[in-house]
Amino acid sequence: MLARVSVPVTHVGDKAAPSGALALGLKRVLGPDHRMGYLFVLPIFFFVISLVGYPFCYAIYLSMTHKLVGLPPVFVGFENYVRLTWDGFFQRAVVNSFIFTFGSVAFKLVLGVVMAVVLTSPIRWRSFWTGVLLIPWVAPTVVSALNFLWIFDGSLGVLNYLLVRVFRVLPQGIGWLSEPGTAMASVVAVNIWRGFPFFGISFLAGMKAIPAELYEAAAVDGASVLQRFRHVTLPGIRNIMIIVVLLSTIWTFNDFQIVYILTKGGPGGTTMVMPVLTYETAFGAQRLGEAIAVALYLLPALAVTIMVLARYMRRGRKR
Amino acid sequence: MDRRLTALAEQLEAGHIARREFLRRAAVITGGTAAGLHVLRRMASAQGGPKLRVWLFKSYVTAGNDILARQVEEWAKERKVQIEFDWATFGDREQKFVAAIEAGNPPDIAEMNYQGPMRYRPALRDVTKLAKDLAASRGGLLPFAERVVQLDGQYSGIARLVFGGGLHIRKDLLAEKGLKMPKVYDPDVIDVAKKCQDPSKDLWGFGQTLNRCDDGNGFMQNILWDYGGGTWDKDGKPALATTFLKQNLAAIQFAVDTIQKHKVQPPGVMSWTDVSNNEAYMAGKLVCTNNGASLYYAMGAKNHPLYDKTQVILTPGGPAGAFVASNPYTWGLFKASKHAELSEDLVRWVEDEKRFEEYMKACSGQAGPVYKVRAEHPYWKTNPNYEGMLQNILRGVWIGYPGPITPAAIEVQAQYILCDMGGRIVVGGLSPEAALKEAHKRVEDIYRIRSRS
Repeated sequence: MLARVSVPVTHVGDKAAPSGALALGLKRVLGPDHRMGYLFVLPIFFFVISLVGYPFCYAIYLSMTHKLVGLPPVFVGFENYVRLTWDGFFQRAVVNSFIFTFGSVAFKLVLGVVMAVVLTSPIRWRSFWTGVLLIPWVAPTVVSALNFLWIFDGSLGVLNYLLVRVFRVLPQGIGWLSEPGTAMASVVAVNIWRGFPFFGISFLAGMKAIPAELYEAAAVDGASVLQRFRHVTLPGIRNIMIIVVLLSTIWTFNDFQIVYILTKGGPGGTTMVMPVLTYETAFGAQRLGEAIAVALYLLPALAVTIMVLARYMRRGRKR
Repeated sequence: MDRRLTALAEQLEAGHIARREFLRRAAVITGGTAAGLHVLRRMASAQGGPKLRVWLFKSYVTAGNDILARQVEEWAKERKVQIEFDWATFGDREQKFVAAIEAGNPPDIAEMNYQGPMRYRPALRDVTKLAKDLAASRGGLLPFAERVVQLDGQYSGIARLVFGGGLHIRKDLLAEKGLKMPKVYDPDVIDVAKKCQDPSKDLWGFGQTLNRCDDGNGFMQNILWDYGGGTWDKDGKPALATTFLKQNLAAIQFAVDTIQKHKVQPPGVMSWTDVSNNEAYMAGKLVCTNNGASLYYAMGAKNHPLYDKTQVILTPGGPAGAFVASNPYTWGLFKASKHAELSEDLVRWVEDEKRFEEYMKACSGQAGPVYKVRAEHPYWKTNPNYEGMLQNILRGVWIGYPGPITPAAIEVQAQYILCDMGGRIVVGGLSPEAALKEAHKRVEDIYRIRSRS
């Protein structure tokens, strides 16, 4: 009986030796509970693959097809991308997207800093003003954009009414959304109005985390208000600034609602940006493959921007 | 909680039954109840008949929408069919179709615009027999409607109506100045506009956007035809900057001149959408504007003071004549539907002449004829403005004219290429010739891509 039992034990032991060593090695590298770890990660892995990985890969595939509504896709390789590269309308949309994004983000950055500085200074009803300044960020974008559509209206808009009738600054109304000098500026202005409170409130949180002793020490050393701002406040909120600029760049670049509601990319493509062009190509032209190519075209450039910014941020932290 | 379950719980608590017995009986009770409910639900739905998904178009003429919905409901009641309504608007119609078709879940039947039969053809059922039956008993389809719903003898849609419309003009202002109704844009409309407008009072002679919207598209297309040009030649090939270069240049120059040279258009006109001219006209800021009947309907429905001061006349023309695109709304029956016969029956029901008459009379000129018999209805003579709208429809041509209507011609409209052409001159600072060539290149691209499929 004993012998019969001992044989399989020896047999198992012989075979188990290398796998046992592997398990030990894995335990050493991945930790003692690595099997349980896989179990915990599995659902997330499944969700990421099914909800992000698969759609993303399928989108890349579709962008390389000639896909019309109701018809199966026909693989065309990089034809959509090549065609877009030489398409003047697309090129203008790319340029417009960068003007729209960086124009907006630059102003939002400055206004956000101003907002944060004002709200950290000893003013009356600080909480009230904080709430008021957050309204543009809290209000639904569609509602804000529709309001601005009315405000900018050439004939019935309140802006022209004030400038022409009330303050008599202009002899005649301006087509804010229809003239070369003002169409892009107007949509950028709405994006700034909508987005600067996010900058302001983030900077405000950062500024509150700066120890008061630093300001006191700087003041004792004879630093002026401007010097304190430059050498204490700005370095103190540097990392937040980078994150906020990064996020806002991505959001602004992908902003669809404001431009679509105000101008639909018109007149004559003056305010056409990438998200609106993607939408127009998908639902107007109904060329789905090309629409995805429009959407994905600048993805590598954006990814590089994000990586550079993230790296810069990490380098700052090491210092 | 169910009384039986409560009693069971009490028995368990009192120790009269074992826990295992409690679980067994509870499972029987809940399972039986669930199965019973399922059977009841199936019986209820079987009693209600099949379910039909119907997509209707929500136009600005709300009285017409209500009547059509009621007629569909009456049909459903009569045929014991359940109806699942959904409404599409100017803003989301195509998006909904694209999403539903791509998801493999289109409605059974939908009200589409003129683009539908051509664009969604792969997903639409062949309705040749029904379309021919309806047309035959109504004197035949008008030529523009025939072109839109039929390709190579196969009908992908059933024409229903065309939006009537025309130049809405302030007859009181013209009478004050002793002016006649304009017949052509240049010089008539420009003369009237210049003589009647008063920019100091924010009253402008002409309100016609060239921006990316249906109004802009319609005007740009019409004005090219008016000057003898067009986007397509008679073979359906791109002709913007080739065959019709000279004519198109003259046309586009005129369109731009209304804003830049003649200064008869209000500030901001290049950012207008489809509702902007309606609002501006009703606010008393325009002498005249091209629009569908919805503007006239809205003024009538609101007892607006300008209702009686407005005349709807034929859309003005140019040196080559007066052209408008008559773009019919159509019924589309989808291949994926399991209720094709019911859908056909519904079309026959709402297209019944008595029912259509009721609908037409509520639409204040918006439900224009696609069949010859309907064009002869006495309704069109009850109001001089309706007469103008009718004549506009009857002389209408189709998108793609003088060539055939094609997917490429539809896409040029859907992408607002002609509007962008105007915008590139007025806002982008391009010369008319450069803008025309730029637009021609885009049209050629579309033609090439669409020819491939």
